[in-house]
Amino acid sequence: MMDEREDRFDEILREAARDYNAPPATPRAEMWERIQAVRRSDGQADGILPFRPTVRLSARPTVRLAMAVAAVLVLGVAIGRFTAPDSASNPTPTTIGPIADATTETAERPNVATQVATSNHLSQVETFLTEFGTSPGTPDFTDQAKDLLGTTRMLLDSKRVVDARTRTLLEDLELILAQIATLDSKDRREDLNFIADGLAQNQLRTRLRNAIPAGPAIRL
Amino acid sequence: MEQRDLVTRVLQGDPGAERELYDAHVDRVYRLAYRMVGDSELAADYTQDTFIRTFERLATFRGESALSTWITAIAISVVYNGQRKVRRLRTREVELEHAEPVAATIRRADPDLKARLNQAIGELPEGYRTVFLLHDVEGYTHEQIGSALGIQEGTSKAQLSRARAKLRTELAAFAGDVAS
Repeated sequence: MMDEREDRFDEILREAARDYNAPPATPRAEMWERIQAVRRSDGQADGILPFRPTVRLSARPTVRLAMAVAAVLVLGVAIGRFTAPDSASNPTPTTIGPIADATTETAERPNVATQVATSNHLSQVETFLTEFGTSPGTPDFTDQAKDLLGTTRMLLDSKRVVDARTRTLLEDLELILAQIATLDSKDRREDLNFIADGLAQNQLRTRLRNAIPAGPAIRL
Repeated sequence: MEQRDLVTRVLQGDPGAERELYDAHVDRVYRLAYRMVGDSELAADYTQDTFIRTFERLATFRGESALSTWITAIAISVVYNGQRKVRRLRTREVELEHAEPVAATIRRADPDLKARLNQAIGELPEGYRTVFLLHDVEGYTHEQIGSALGIQEGTSKAQLSRARAKLRTELAAFAGDVAS
């Protein structure tokens, strides 16, 4: 009696189980194409068929390393070509030296007014950063930072600022000034540490001093 | 004899024979892979891997069992290995999400027999589940299952019996209704 019930239950079970993960139509053609592609891609080269292409790749770290190096090189060349100023039309002075360099040929020299404006701006930023460094908690620094950030961006947008070192310096300053300009009035300790680290790592004050011609500091 | 010829032609590099072998076995392999994993993409991946391995190892096929059984053995091995990787990944995901045990929730929430049966089959130990699916769902004989899994026929029968017993226990609440 018990066996009969079990048999009947098993039969019903089998019947119901036929719907368990009922398979859809077999994607024959797609799978065949992929099998052929995998076999063609590697199997014929050395007589050994790969189980999966990814397994093959992971088994050859030297190939991966070479591909990574090549990719970095290509990326670097591409970035360099996009970002480097056109040396034929815009010769790059080696230092900012705004007044001294102004004696070179008229066609090649950068606009003197731009150089003076840049020097003034860098001097203002240096003063600002020195004051900020001594009392970073003062709230009105954010407004000054916003003003200086605006000028920094304007100079970066100007095609007349062609010196590569000056542009790099302005880009680094832009980042620091943006951080100061967006300082939260509360809980700013972490941000201040971050800014201090950025100033130190980029040697911003030293670079600023080197870029500014000798003379009195410009008051903000 | 036909099977031996086909294998010989594949080994000689006859592309038509390769396709012939694939066509003769792909449905069964895909069905089995799908039954075991319930996911069309995974089933397709496992089926592809099965045939890549089949072609790769065909020279070692000695004809001691039917070619279909030999390919089934490869398919089961591919699915087992693949599912271990999938389970490891899913375990990590669940750990990341701090998920609650899903199975327990479904158990209480879904009174439907088929849903409960599907869940109970999914929760069977791997060996029991494979034998149950091969025999009761896909219609393999114990002899074929024994060859494919590398176990004795008697072991296959015992595992099927235990699988059914487990399912009966899990579905005890429905047993009275369906068997009366």
